[in-house]
Amino acid sequence: MKRMEIPLSENLGHGHLACAGCGAAIAMRLTLKALGEKIVMVFPASCWSIIPGSWPYSSFRITAIHAGFVTGGATASGVRAALDIRGDRETLVAVWAGDGGTFDIGLQSLSGAAERNEDFIYICNDNEGYMNTGTQRSSATPLFAWTTTTPVMQPKENPKKDIMAIMADHQIPYAATATIAYPEDLIRKMEKAKKTRGTRFIHLLSPCPPGWRIPSELSVKISRLAVRSRVFPLYEIENGNTYTLQEESHVVPVKDYLKLQGRFSHLTEKDVEETQKRVDDTWERLLRKARC
Amino acid sequence: MKKVITGNQAVAYGVILSRVDVISAYPITPQTTIVEELSELIASGRLNTRFLKVESEHSAMAALIGASTGGVRCFTATSSHGLAYMHEMLHWASGARLPIVMVNVNRALGAPWNIWSDQSDSLSQRDTGWIQLYCENNQEVLDTILQAYRIAETVKLPVMVVLDAFVLSHTSEVVEIPTMEEVDKFLPPFFLEYTIDTQEPVTFSVITTPEHFFEFRYKVQKAMEQVPGIANKVDDEFRSRFGRGYGAIERYGKEGAEVLLMTSGTVTSTSRTVIQKLVQKGYSVAGIKIKRFRPFPSEEIYEAIKGAKKLAVIDRNLSAGVGGIFAQELRASLYSREERPQVFGFISGLGGRDITPDLIEEAIHYTVEHPRPEEEILWLGLKK
Amino acid sequence: MTKQFTFKSASEMPEISISRGHMDWNKTGAWRTQRPFYEDKTAPCNAACPVGSDIVGFIQKIAQGDFEGAWNLITEENPFPGICGRICFHPCESKCNRGSFDEPVAIHALERFVADLASTLPEKKEKFSAKKEEKIAIIGSGPAGMSCAYHLAKLHYNVTVFESLSLAGGMLWMGIPSYRLPRDVLDREISNIEALGVEIRTGVLIGEEIKIEKLKDYQAIFIATGAHRSRGVKISGEKGRGLFSGLDLLGRINLDGKVKIGERVAIIGGGNTAIDVARSVIRLGKKATILYRRSKEEMPAFKEEIAEALEEGVEIRYLVNPIRIQQKESLRRLECLRMKLGEKDESGRRKPVPIPNSNFFIKADSVVVAAGEEIETSFLPKRIGKREGIVLTQNDGRTGIEGIFAGGDLTSNQRTVAHAIGSGKKAAMAIDCYLKGNDSEDAIRKILVGNGPSISIFRYLHPGERPRNPHVVNYEELNMDYFEPARRERESKRRLKERIKRFTEVTSTLTESAALEEASRCFSCGTCNECENCYIFCPDASILKKGEKISQQVDYDFCKGCGICFVECPRRAISLEEEAR
Repeated sequence: MKRMEIPLSENLGHGHLACAGCGAAIAMRLTLKALGEKIVMVFPASCWSIIPGSWPYSSFRITAIHAGFVTGGATASGVRAALDIRGDRETLVAVWAGDGGTFDIGLQSLSGAAERNEDFIYICNDNEGYMNTGTQRSSATPLFAWTTTTPVMQPKENPKKDIMAIMADHQIPYAATATIAYPEDLIRKMEKAKKTRGTRFIHLLSPCPPGWRIPSELSVKISRLAVRSRVFPLYEIENGNTYTLQEESHVVPVKDYLKLQGRFSHLTEKDVEETQKRVDDTWERLLRKARC
Repeated sequence: MKKVITGNQAVAYGVILSRVDVISAYPITPQTTIVEELSELIASGRLNTRFLKVESEHSAMAALIGASTGGVRCFTATSSHGLAYMHEMLHWASGARLPIVMVNVNRALGAPWNIWSDQSDSLSQRDTGWIQLYCENNQEVLDTILQAYRIAETVKLPVMVVLDAFVLSHTSEVVEIPTMEEVDKFLPPFFLEYTIDTQEPVTFSVITTPEHFFEFRYKVQKAMEQVPGIANKVDDEFRSRFGRGYGAIERYGKEGAEVLLMTSGTVTSTSRTVIQKLVQKGYSVAGIKIKRFRPFPSEEIYEAIKGAKKLAVIDRNLSAGVGGIFAQELRASLYSREERPQVFGFISGLGGRDITPDLIEEAIHYTVEHPRPEEEILWLGLKK
Repeated sequence: MTKQFTFKSASEMPEISISRGHMDWNKTGAWRTQRPFYEDKTAPCNAACPVGSDIVGFIQKIAQGDFEGAWNLITEENPFPGICGRICFHPCESKCNRGSFDEPVAIHALERFVADLASTLPEKKEKFSAKKEEKIAIIGSGPAGMSCAYHLAKLHYNVTVFESLSLAGGMLWMGIPSYRLPRDVLDREISNIEALGVEIRTGVLIGEEIKIEKLKDYQAIFIATGAHRSRGVKISGEKGRGLFSGLDLLGRINLDGKVKIGERVAIIGGGNTAIDVARSVIRLGKKATILYRRSKEEMPAFKEEIAEALEEGVEIRYLVNPIRIQQKESLRRLECLRMKLGEKDESGRRKPVPIPNSNFFIKADSVVVAAGEEIETSFLPKRIGKREGIVLTQNDGRTGIEGIFAGGDLTSNQRTVAHAIGSGKKAAMAIDCYLKGNDSEDAIRKILVGNGPSISIFRYLHPGERPRNPHVVNYEELNMDYFEPARRERESKRRLKERIKRFTEVTSTLTESAALEEASRCFSCGTCNECENCYIFCPDASILKKGEKISQQVDYDFCKGCGICFVECPRRAISLEEEAR
């Protein structure tokens, strides 16, 4: 196996408060390596309200602005406008939001910004729930999953919202999915997004050990299984209509992905079958879109 | 140069003259002509400003928080539900010590739905840490915006400039519009020390524990306490440059009057006529216009009411469960004082009901004739 | 910046909550309940290699393009990589974890590649430090004896090897045909050993010319005379004309290039010698038939050899046992009985049982017996212990007699070149201990590869360096997420028609690009090869690098013990233990 080429700079300092094995910490570390130092990162409320530490400290070695939960897209629009007025077209403006701050409460400001084609990279760090507040369901929580607000007796009854389809329909120049088990792919997509102008959207899957009920050492493995089982396929959408898939050669049944996670331990055979069917259907649709 | 313009147009002029860099706004009646006017000016190239046509008021304030952190001069305008929608971000803006200036056109809050003049929207934001300045006429609107940026950028707190719906926003008056050169001399370019600098990366507004949060709030209060002094200086300078000044409050009418009428907004200009008439008839009555509501001008008011026995307040707002807000704040500010005149709390004109000269006279007569108010809340002009 | 800020009053604080400090002071290492650490473990190939070669190590070097480094690493333990790469039974490949994924790594081919490449490198003049005083005599110049000589010479002893035949190499030249092991490869590797100052005295038969008791000049003796007396098969007519022993035949072919032998040759036996004889017979232009008393499954010869033999036209008849050689004028024929398999015997294989009245005849002009070898004991000191066809020794090669050691085929029924080389090395180490007055059993225990029985003489010479946990990494402990199936490189073979005409080598060495490809298939079990997964995936940036390279150090101030590095290490080079508190 070839060694992966990863930029050396560390823009997320150690000593941060992420849980042991936090997928988002890996994601943030890799993302900041790719995006470099000339950046202002707006981060609306999420686990990252806590992870960098409290005043007067911060683990970020780049300029970061903590913003209201709702406001990722809007605050970043303002920052971009200010930098433009100051004559700075080089500094990258990025948003790092959770799934709550993207799919749910933040969807309005994201949609508004995307419709205006605001010039920033919006990264949705998706751990499939409101994990910072203790694992409540969001519209990014997958079907049948346990959360504290979708207990085992009544697990999540609706499938995960397709945020990539929503973003594609805004006709933004670039949208892509990525996850931590594929660091070179993640970095390539971040670098590609960096070179594009307009609204760029990265949907980043980050396993959460306490929220998904997995042991801390399996975060990367589960992220890989998510791709291999096609639960979270890797692909890019350019200008809302050109799909490029990064196909995995090792495909596994969704059962292999679900059985390792405590949040799915109550699933029946029927549930697993239905999940497999949905995953297969979504994959088919994706293939068709890629072929056009 | 004198022009006959509406209140909203006066706002637009104020914004242009202040060389605002970033505007972010969402339309709502009766603010709409502000953003329309500004859009035209920007599109025609007369204004080098970025206008973010955001998808909600909450986003408007969030965008300005982002832009202001980026070190540029910002502006937005809204009203009623729009202001209520951005409520959480108002707290954020003042806590983040960002010198944003916002115009709020006073309009009622539903339900039921109502688009006319009412102060409940701005006053229900009185705890958000914003300086609040109320305007009586279109000239004052324009002038207050210019002063607002000076105050905001000195004390590092955001400022809300308030005008009445339709009565000012859509009504034309004669306004003296200063030149850009004159304003430039009064309002220097904006500079924010703690703005974004990618060479020295810092993180803004991280979580602040009980260890430190208390002190940050203390500092906000301390900043508010500096406002009277700073606002006076700014007003004095404005007066010397432009010949017009407003103070935190204005007392008019009979010297040493026994009965005082406190009003704000356009009600004041109606009151002036009424009080003049009554004084001519021999009544011992005077008026106090409240311009600055936050920070509450306790000292100035106390100075102005010396010798009075009764204070009538006309509130064009309601805090249900306690009554008119100006009256409430007034009573609180008088509580620890040696001399405490009787406060007659009148509520009138909610939802745009006209506050006529007759009503104002009625209020004054009631106050004159009663040693104390018979009720906590005196409903003026209500169809009982 | 590890500075911690303290503010005693509001006036000391800035107006706005902007963070300028870092979190370095927050030692999140205190959170750990388990801690990761780098620990090389033993690869199954290393553990299986009777020589004790650091296979995973030299393959890593090949993969890095450091062929000279690979050569140096191999020859720390094994003087005969060119030989082993060609004829070893490669138990390493049987145990190779890659075999559970797709195909085992062609370790033998890589070893051969390095050896053949090294022969083209300019010779390095080794600077010797002064030799020690002691002299050691080695009897037998086969793989065991030469390995012992090699390691003793590297320990700076004076070594003399006594060889009864006219050429050095023992079984290597006597019993292995040159199409499998070319003479020049053998000569080259023996002369590498001579270049260290080892004296080889050929044509000296100990017991005749020199009695073993007279070797008193020597402070220690290593007997490695091997087993090269053909075992008889006890059939009547065995001692006649036209009857050969397999080893004799092979030796003569190696020496003279040809031998006089009949048209139809029957070869009795099922081991590598039988196959070697059969294939040599083919090359002499004759017909070869192997008669084996058990079935195909029990045949001990290497599977590849059997396959090649069949390709070349050798006939193999299973479950056949010759009972009599009949000579009738010029016609010779073998009377045979058919066999069937009965219960398992001591060797674990099913015992062949004759089927009564199943006699039949096979025409044979020459009969070759290749049914195993026995040791020669006549020259040995009387006191030496023997039992069941081998000389008895301690684990380290000590016989009952002080100063006399033995090894190789003489002392073991595991009769392979690799075992012999390993035993010679072990004896060298034991002799060194003996001469220094140290405890060799203790020394051996410290230098076992895995859990033994092979030893690493590098670790004997450099205690504490290249530490390896003896735990042998099994397939389940590896992380297959990082590997793609890839075809095993195959050494190209001569065309069949070419092969059978002459005794030139059948297979050829891998090309450099093939070797690099094949080396990259190695999982590097238990040994860090700097893939940097640990560095990439650590959420707390606690895997430290030294410049561009992995430093194999964990920043324990900040490591939270999540265990991701442990899981994502493809080769289990990281261990996880409970954090002691």
